[in-house]
Amino acid sequence: MNAFLQLDALHFAYPQRGEVVHDVSLQLAPGEIHCLIGRSGCGKTTVLKLAAGLLTPSQGQVQLKGQTVHQPTPEMGFVFQSPTLLNWLSVLDNVLLPLSLHGAIPPDQRAYGEQLLTQMGLAALCHDKPHRLSGGQQSRVAIARALITRPAVLFMDEPFAALDAITRDELQRDFLALCQTQGTAVLFVTHDMSEAVYLADRVSLMHAGQIQAPLQIDLPRPRHSAMRYTPAFNALCEQLRHAMDATL
Amino acid sequence: MKRDTLLSTLLGLTCLAIWEAAVRVGHTSPLVLPAPSVVAQSLWQGLRSGYLGPHIAHTLTEVVLGLWLGASMGFVGGVVLGESARWRGVLMPYVVISQVVPKLALAPLFIVWFGFGTLPTVVMTALICFFPLLENTATCMQQVDANQLELFRMLRASPWQTLWRLKLPAGLPSIMAGLRVAVVLAWVGAVVGEFIGASRGLGALIIAAQGSMDTPLMFAVLTVITVLGLAFYKICEWLERRLLGTFSDLSTRTSP
Repeated sequence: MNAFLQLDALHFAYPQRGEVVHDVSLQLAPGEIHCLIGRSGCGKTTVLKLAAGLLTPSQGQVQLKGQTVHQPTPEMGFVFQSPTLLNWLSVLDNVLLPLSLHGAIPPDQRAYGEQLLTQMGLAALCHDKPHRLSGGQQSRVAIARALITRPAVLFMDEPFAALDAITRDELQRDFLALCQTQGTAVLFVTHDMSEAVYLADRVSLMHAGQIQAPLQIDLPRPRHSAMRYTPAFNALCEQLRHAMDATL
Repeated sequence: MKRDTLLSTLLGLTCLAIWEAAVRVGHTSPLVLPAPSVVAQSLWQGLRSGYLGPHIAHTLTEVVLGLWLGASMGFVGGVVLGESARWRGVLMPYVVISQVVPKLALAPLFIVWFGFGTLPTVVMTALICFFPLLENTATCMQQVDANQLELFRMLRASPWQTLWRLKLPAGLPSIMAGLRVAVVLAWVGAVVGEFIGASRGLGALIIAAQGSMDTPLMFAVLTVITVLGLAFYKICEWLERRLLGTFSDLSTRTSP
């Protein structure tokens, strides 16, 4: 397989908590969506931060396009668990922040920011301040901000965990559509099995700092909401559920 | 909102009316408690004759100088202490000790060091304004949301950018709260400083009025100090809104 992002036998320990990531290897193909699923505290967020270069592994290495990752690169985007918007900037300026930190913004980039917000259904709210937005809308802004640099790989840390079920379904649909048009590879951390099956090409299960062989999700693309109720979808969820129960 | 303002104004006017009536009915000596109308008259005379003008200018200069010196040094010190754990560890105990020393009690010492006049008062005002800014700036710099800091790391922001684009705008409400405290204290510093070692300024005028038993003049000067203090406070609020606007404009630059 043409490995584009490669995690190679990663180990990581926090000073007071002992080893939280133990011998984790993972490969991501270009444009692939890969979900990391596991219980709280299993080390999945740590793996994500190691992959993004926010943490440095004690052993092993991360490679993006053959280059070892030591710190975040311009080709990466990251969406945090909470939207973490800057409340003194307008919605559009929040989206443009990754660009404005590195110089003045060309008009075409500004137009692209507006386009992303339109695709996220937020065109009318461009100039509002984030605190006027609902939780779901804030998550959409955070995703648009991560995509503004057209990253080759996107790291997502349970970005939809705090949303209600219907908002989450809509966001998953819109998020998939955006990633598909950009061909972005995604490493997506979640604890929600149906979310993992709906989004992913492959799902890896993590338990106690270790990763298991990925499960292939052979559902056709583009995915749509009706698929959630098909037998094939439910069979995959059940398979995942059994695998998770086995870790107890 | 408008109704509240109206009620608030009415309350103030009622209090003044009761004061006026009480003084007239009770025939209180103006030496003890002059009626508002007498105070207003004294104030008007002082302003019109040009007697109050130079004193106001003198105190205003001291307040502005002291506030500017103290607040800017406090702000810079707060940024340094907030950014560097080492500086914090080394300097913080001394900062706390010097904060506990009653600054007004240092006034006689300052007269020994700096002589009579403007300088000791400015130094004391600066010293008083220094700490609220230092404390609030240093604290707010450490209370920045960890997720936002991680976001800035992810976006490869330099420490300088993280300071200007994240820590300062995020801490602005807290920094401005420190400034509002400093603005109020600056007037205390300047007036009390003048009590002790000055021949000019509003504080010195209060002492002089006390000496000549001119109680209406004392009230008139107090009114001037209150109005000026209020004006400074309002300027602070305006500045806060302006700065927030500036911080949001910082990132809206579009290249031509």
